[in-house]
Amino acid sequence: MSPDRAPLLEVQGLSLAFGGLRCLDGLDITVGEGEIVSVIGPNGAGKTTLFNVITGVYPPEEGEVLFEGQSVLGLDPHQIARRGIARTFQTLRLFLNMTVKENVMTAAYGHTRAGVVRSVLRTPGMRREEREIERLAEERLAFFGDRLIGYRWRQPAYSLSYANRRRLEIARATAAMPRLLLLDEPAAGMNPVETHEMTELIGRLREEGGYTILVIEHDMHVVEGISDRVVALDHGVKIAEGSFAQVATDPRVVEAYLGTSETRRR
Amino acid sequence: MSEQTPEQPRIGRDEWVASADERRAKSIVGQAQNALDRTPAALKLVALALPFAVFPLVVESEYLLQVGIDTLIYVLLALGLNVAVGWVGLLDLGFVAFFGLGAYLYAAAASEYAGRQWDATLAIPAIAVTVAAIGFLVGLPSRRLVGDYLAIVTLFFLQIWLVVLINASFTRGPNGISDIYPLEFFGRRVTSQQGYFYVALVAFIVVISVLYLMNRSRTGRAWRALREDELAAELMTMPVNRLKLMAFAVGAGVAGVAGVLFAPQQGAVFPANFDIVLLITIYAMVVLGGPGSLVGVTVGAVLINVSLEVLRDPDDASSLFYAVVFLAVVLLLRRPWWSSLAVLGGTVVFGLVVHEIAEQARPSLVQGTPFGEARIDEVVDSWVLLPADIVSPDGLPTGWLGRVAYIGLVAAILGLTLVRSRLWRSVALVPTLYLVACVWENLLLPQPAVARFVLIGAMLVALMAVRPQGLFGAQRVEAV
Repeated sequence: MSPDRAPLLEVQGLSLAFGGLRCLDGLDITVGEGEIVSVIGPNGAGKTTLFNVITGVYPPEEGEVLFEGQSVLGLDPHQIARRGIARTFQTLRLFLNMTVKENVMTAAYGHTRAGVVRSVLRTPGMRREEREIERLAEERLAFFGDRLIGYRWRQPAYSLSYANRRRLEIARATAAMPRLLLLDEPAAGMNPVETHEMTELIGRLREEGGYTILVIEHDMHVVEGISDRVVALDHGVKIAEGSFAQVATDPRVVEAYLGTSETRRR
Repeated sequence: MSEQTPEQPRIGRDEWVASADERRAKSIVGQAQNALDRTPAALKLVALALPFAVFPLVVESEYLLQVGIDTLIYVLLALGLNVAVGWVGLLDLGFVAFFGLGAYLYAAAASEYAGRQWDATLAIPAIAVTVAAIGFLVGLPSRRLVGDYLAIVTLFFLQIWLVVLINASFTRGPNGISDIYPLEFFGRRVTSQQGYFYVALVAFIVVISVLYLMNRSRTGRAWRALREDELAAELMTMPVNRLKLMAFAVGAGVAGVAGVLFAPQQGAVFPANFDIVLLITIYAMVVLGGPGSLVGVTVGAVLINVSLEVLRDPDDASSLFYAVVFLAVVLLLRRPWWSSLAVLGGTVVFGLVVHEIAEQARPSLVQGTPFGEARIDEVVDSWVLLPADIVSPDGLPTGWLGRVAYIGLVAAILGLTLVRSRLWRSVALVPTLYLVACVWENLLLPQPAVARFVLIGAMLVALMAVRPQGLFGAQRVEAV
């Protein structure tokens, strides 16, 4: 099954093992421009490892990762991020002791140029750039309605609630000006109201931000609500791919989540 | 922000957080903090530099001017160390090697030994850039290291540097280079202490301004971000390794400038000028003032260097010591309000009783005279146990009482940590405080060279217990 749009990200035959543990095994995934693709699978299926390989944290043993038709293997993570892949983290990794606004401003590093000398001389170009970053951060935070604006800007990130931290991670990732957004369990730890909000938000990210989105999610309501396509992983192998309805009823997916009747009896 | 109506869901909109500023404005500390935050940076710089600027106008003694110059050099070193340690969070233990490098490079650029005299306008920038470049090279192999590993590698670098200095012939080994020319600006030599003081002051103003502007730019933001979370910073487009090297280089450059000022002012450089004790002192300054705060590390450097100087004189040291103990008791025992008074009064009575008993039982225990000559020592004479001959003719403490009291003090402090009840802890504090006074008078006061570092250490420990972020540092939250 191939997407009907031009591919933005192509993962081909990706394999990675830690010691004897095969985390990814010949994985192929293609994400078309403007698509929202969900990756599902039980714990330890290799979903986050896939994100880590795409963003350059781990080098794969085999396989290829093409972004906009060009290989990103061997690039440093910051170079890959600069090319247009930004992500959030399952285990929130905010800059806790920096303010909410600063958290978002940092991610604009790759798209700004003022060096040390220009910063010390406070050249007009550097000042303009600073103002632009600040405006960018305010705009990205305003995306979440009145959750992260006004008095929140000057507060340290550690003062935020769990749900707001997830939102801030998304705001920070979008400030890196990505074309592809990798969201690692964006609705984890949220209450039903917030989860519903997050579902709408991911749709809005595509409509308003124009991002292509690859998302790992465990909440099946969210997956159903957002996905153009769903990819199911187990033990680093793709076991099913297709629409939500197709994948959710696939016997191998059911088996991966619940076990076979034989293992259940045991 | 949109207007809130009671019908709207309240999830995620908590008024308590929103009103944080109003609550902060109610307390005195909060108001002071707000005022400090609102003060423009230029005004803060003037407030920091002004006391220094008038210092040479009001003091006349060469010794005090020397202390002032040393203080400014320490401030420069603390500012340099703050870049790697305070902003980026790298444990750099090789820092003083860059200070030494700057000093020795100046010796190579302007001394009789080198046979040349570079103008300071050339020597200062050239040496700063050279030392920064060497800092970059030293950082290169260690750029992937974090925490303890980086600390070990940089400490190793410092040791290599010291070994080379002591053993190489071109650095004249332990004898050092002792015929360094003074700084020369456009052919005019700086000869007076005042001159060196103002040169150091200008260097301080330039360095702190440059660092301030650097910190308030995308580079500074990226430094702080990678201190918080290296991996997240890297994945948010920041080249972490390059940023670390840049921090190393900037810090080294500042240390180099401090070295260039140090060498001609002293007129000589020796390997012993750049040892681990200096490293620890600079770390103490940064930690005391608050890592990450430019005002903080400046104040920290001034406080520690001035305290170390004050402690050289036994009379001043005594006054400072008793003042610190008094303050510590008052600050630690705030509730109920009379408990600190009770403990201090109890200690006085306890001492008088012990002194009286000792005088009756074994008069030799109290026949000594206090080491110092300050007024407080006259009081101390009839209160603390002072055996005769606490100091031998060559100035070393000989009394057994001091040592016994020292061991007793350590045991008393350990015991104090085991006592849970507040009442009994206060009661146990009385003999402990008396032991503190006995140790001070019998053991520490006669050897001020040791005492001053012990005291600075004790002050740091006490401060860290009360205010772990340092005087001006922002409280950090590691993981929540």
